[in-house]
Amino acid sequence: MPSNAISAENFLNREAELSYLKSLPELKGKALGGNVFLEGARGMGKTELLKQLHRALFWEDNVVPFYYSFKTANQKGSYFAKDYFTRFVRQYISFVTKDSSIADNVAVPLQRLMPVISSLGLCWLIDCIDNFQAHVSKNDFYWQLVAAISAPVVAAQKSGKPVVVMLDDFDAAEHLYESSLDDAHGLISLFGESMQNRLCPHVITGSAGALGAIFTDHSLLGMTEQMRLGPLPEDLAAALFKTHLATLKITCAPDVRLTFLTILRGNPLYIRNLAKAASKMQKKELTEKDLVECYGFEVSEGETAFYWSSVFRRYVQSPTKRKAMVKLIMHAIENEGMEDRGRLSIVSGLCETETGAILDAMEASGIIRDKNAVFQDFIRALYMREIESRKPSDVREKIESKYLSESEASCFELVIPMSSNAELVVAKAVEQIGINMNLESEFLNYLQLALIEICINAMEHSGSYEKKVFLKFIARPNRLEIIIENSGRPFSLDSLTEHSVEEKLRMGMKRGWGFKLVYAIMDSVKVERINDRTRVILTKEIKNKEVHP
Amino acid sequence: MKTVQFSVTSRLVGDAAVIYPKGYLNNLSGESLVKECGIYIGKGITKIVVNFSETDLINSIGISLLLQIIEDLKNIKGTICCTNMSKFLQDTFEMLGLIQYMVVFPVESDALQYLKVGKV
Ligand SMILES: Nc1ncnc2c1ncn2[C@@H]1O[C@H](COP(=O)(O)OP(=O)(O)O)[C@@H](O)[C@H]1O
Ligand SMILES: [Mg+2]
Repeated sequence: MPSNAISAENFLNREAELSYLKSLPELKGKALGGNVFLEGARGMGKTELLKQLHRALFWEDNVVPFYYSFKTANQKGSYFAKDYFTRFVRQYISFVTKDSSIADNVAVPLQRLMPVISSLGLCWLIDCIDNFQAHVSKNDFYWQLVAAISAPVVAAQKSGKPVVVMLDDFDAAEHLYESSLDDAHGLISLFGESMQNRLCPHVITGSAGALGAIFTDHSLLGMTEQMRLGPLPEDLAAALFKTHLATLKITCAPDVRLTFLTILRGNPLYIRNLAKAASKMQKKELTEKDLVECYGFEVSEGETAFYWSSVFRRYVQSPTKRKAMVKLIMHAIENEGMEDRGRLSIVSGLCETETGAILDAMEASGIIRDKNAVFQDFIRALYMREIESRKPSDVREKIESKYLSESEASCFELVIPMSSNAELVVAKAVEQIGINMNLESEFLNYLQLALIEICINAMEHSGSYEKKVFLKFIARPNRLEIIIENSGRPFSLDSLTEHSVEEKLRMGMKRGWGFKLVYAIMDSVKVERINDRTRVILTKEIKNKEVHP
Repeated sequence: MKTVQFSVTSRLVGDAAVIYPKGYLNNLSGESLVKECGIYIGKGITKIVVNFSETDLINSIGISLLLQIIEDLKNIKGTICCTNMSKFLQDTFEMLGLIQYMVVFPVESDALQYLKVGKV
């Protein structure tokens, strides 16, 4: 039995789906329907819906619910058969006795349940168990599987009560094997018989990509319809988030509108995880900015990151290949799609065959289909950490700055030609931005100097054909961030090495001071290379003394 | 900041030349500053005062051209005095380690007196 379903009043926006699923036995009895393939992005609440269905059926007592998760199941066929069978028997007895501990207590062997079964007068169940044991002792692989998979059908037929079979993350069943991986394709089709039974509606979940393959199997097609679980609407998403916060004893600052939550696109898993991140980061009164900060943590180091990492591990076992996969996905995100495999093997750094295998795994896992900002930010964070070896704090900051700049901050963009005195236009601009921010004029002089230095450096050394410098000013209450970007040659390290005045005098060198000044003036200077573009990111923390009272 | 077109003017006070760079001190204007000083040095002047009161913005190339003047004066055992520098300018020179090669005064008259009698 699926444990810890959330309380019914906290389960939002799935009334229609739940009641439709509850009507399945009736529909199947009248041959109007029967099996449902429940589709939805990861975290959208498929498992939770099954749990809710299970609980409802359990207490209504007209239909027997059976829930099985393939996610944690052992894929060696004989283990699977035993597990599936015993779980069914336990859940069945649990249903009859209304004692959920029987289902939860996985460690108790079936033999010990025999007295209970006898006392309930379920002779057919005892026969069923004996039958299964006989196949096990004969080491008859195929019949063990058949006996296990058909147990719900037998129960339904013998008792006359329909059994709703819930197969969660069913795509994993595709990998059932006999004694070594991939030695027995198509064992999954053994479910076909059970799915066709009039007394046994099946509700199957899995990601769409993953189940696509399964549904090409004709025996499973039959009477299966698709049900899509979409996102929670915006207002309910916010309500759910607040409920979680309340449970975690966190309040929202008075003016918080939770606009940032839209990035989670109504995914209840992400919503829950973000609330938990706030708790982990010991937030008491949540502001809009906190929200972004928690998000940065969540997608780079939090539960969401862990969740996705484990999905990756499940589909691609070798760490080297996982790294290659991260590169590929990052590439797909930045280029909005995938090209031919030959080109992609350059991106992955692996040969074409290996790259192909990774792409297949990506396809099978359906992760490419889960195209959402959270997933993409997780990939960005992972890429920065694993491929670029950046510090976690750096990674978080990068993710955060992406959103902070768009929400709270005021943002100015400026493009200047690479022509003489164009840098003065920038100096003028930063002056006015500084005045808007109430910055002290002397401090502004420094800022102007720093910007002038970066601009003339770009003009003098880049050799850019584009002959433009792009600037973006992001003004926040406590920080000014300036991004300067241009195409062309990267900085030579020479321009970054320092020489003393004596040396300069001796060597007749009159240049190369720009960056020394910039480093001295700004709090942080980062130089990045993106394809043929150089990007310099300057930040300056605004302390109180630089702001006019 | 009210950046004007750069210009440089000068005058002779006794045996000292006073130079007034005005506007944005960058590579081009730095060159003309060097040239202006060069004219005086060519006439045998060894004492130069640069009055920065009208210099509003600088860049590192402009600053580094000052090195040229320092160097030229060093060769003839001359002196360079800088006056009327904003705190920003002075701090920037300091940051670059340039200040030790020049004598800094708050106002032009102090520099002229120093050059005349050796003290203020
Ligand atoms: N409709 C809902 N209302 C509130 N919380 C939900 C809802 N659906 C799912 N959740 C919560 O979201 C999280 C992810 O749901 P889950 O069922 O595991 O997603 P899936 O199986 O689709 O990957 C769980 O913590 C679950 O309790
Ligand atoms: Mg699930």
